[in-house]
Amino acid sequence: MNTGSSLPRWITGLTGWVLPVFLIILWAVATEYSWLSSQILPAPIDIVRAAINLTVSGELAKNIAASAERAGWGLLIGGSIGFLLGLFNGLFRIAERFLDTTVQMIRNVPHLALIPLVIIWFGIGEAGKVFLVTLGVFFPIYANTYHGIKTTDPQLIEMGRVYGLNPWQLFSQIIFPGALPSILVGLRYSLGLMWLTLIVAETIATTSGIGQMAMNAREFMQTDVVVLAIMIYALLGKLADTAVHFLESRILQWHPGFRHR
Amino acid sequence: MTTQAFLKTSSNLALKLEQVSKNFGALTVLENLNLDIQPGSFVAIVGRSGCGKSTLLRLISGLDQPDTGTVFYDDQIHKRLNGHARVMFQEARLLPWKRVLDNVCLGLCKEKKDRALEALQHVGLESKAQEWPSVLSGGQRQRVALARALVHEPRLLLLDEPLGALDALTRIEMQQLIEKIWLETGFTAILVTHDISEAVTLADRVILLDGGKIDLDVAVDLPRPRHRDHPKWIQLEEEILNRVLNTPES
Repeated sequence: MNTGSSLPRWITGLTGWVLPVFLIILWAVATEYSWLSSQILPAPIDIVRAAINLTVSGELAKNIAASAERAGWGLLIGGSIGFLLGLFNGLFRIAERFLDTTVQMIRNVPHLALIPLVIIWFGIGEAGKVFLVTLGVFFPIYANTYHGIKTTDPQLIEMGRVYGLNPWQLFSQIIFPGALPSILVGLRYSLGLMWLTLIVAETIATTSGIGQMAMNAREFMQTDVVVLAIMIYALLGKLADTAVHFLESRILQWHPGFRHR
Repeated sequence: MTTQAFLKTSSNLALKLEQVSKNFGALTVLENLNLDIQPGSFVAIVGRSGCGKSTLLRLISGLDQPDTGTVFYDDQIHKRLNGHARVMFQEARLLPWKRVLDNVCLGLCKEKKDRALEALQHVGLESKAQEWPSVLSGGQRQRVALARALVHEPRLLLLDEPLGALDALTRIEMQQLIEKIWLETGFTAILVTHDISEAVTLADRVILLDGGKIDLDVAVDLPRPRHRDHPKWIQLEEEILNRVLNTPES
């Protein structure tokens, strides 16, 4: 399973970057020899230049901050609701019977289909974007929390009862830790949906954010800025994924599948 | 010896079952069972798979309730789970997200870590205190489960085929360990097993269940530690085994 164990850690950590770097070199060569028109794809150096210009003007930082704020609030609100509802439905059968049908119906509506309605309700302000992200991240966290709670080993719960644990201890020492791997899977899916929703929401109607920066650049045919925006999304996505990896390696130390990552 | 100081003799529990029956749907698993168990004795319950021996253990522990009849702990009617009895299951049932020592501490307050460590010493695993359960072998896991049960100073220890999944050598080691601890502490022990030689090695009394009733109830009057080549040991094992094999399968 662990084949790279003889190599130093920093080398194994870098293997994932070999392909992206190779692709960038290939791209630089292709634009250098004009196999690709700079209208279609600008040279990597142009994008670096665009990034430097936007950083110096402060525009990049402002837009990333605006996007991150929306993403953060949406994740916090949607994630909390999904987590609590997942706990609730997983722990109490009555709640499950009462709420599950509703949740399943809502799940099958693509949340991006609500955009026209969201614009009518919230206009083009912040609330509409946060609302969409909230909807997007809610379901994966809900479903995985619910699933994690439901699949806790009943033998462990029985053991806990024999060893005199009260209901709170049963939850905090057995049910919740048992559900955590599943909850973290939900969080990872949610982070993916968070960026996806944000990109769509920001390209529709906004005055700030990375999506808006890309839409503006399109108006003026600034392909370098458009590509830069896309790359920032890729990097932010990778960052979010790394954060979850880090959480997993800390929280799930006990799990043989997550050890020594 | 530290172990002696650790395992203070708590008073042992007398157990009585009166006219106990248990059905699962149309299936009668136990039928009007009467059983009297002396405090401090080691009783083994044997029988074919599905004879109701595990069900009996669950009724005694309070995990399940009998449909009719009563279970008495020291002449008190016993209905719910209580602190007097601890169960060792067929699987170790350790919490994989707690280190070995914290597993042993389960259900204890934080100040009692020392006692948990002593219990681990008692089963010879103090060096594994900070390991995760997933790195232990099957035998080691059962030893941790035994330590977890002992830390509570149970007056009644219920063993539901705890050695069933272990290899033959580890099994014999565990039998010796359980016997040693039982001799030192003197809790009442009830062992459910399908292994007759295990029953004859460990128990003072072997009860054979068949079709929800007691088919045989024999005292094992052999000096401890018992040797499997003792003529009386061999004779007893054969007698019980023949009884099991000759009863028509229900």
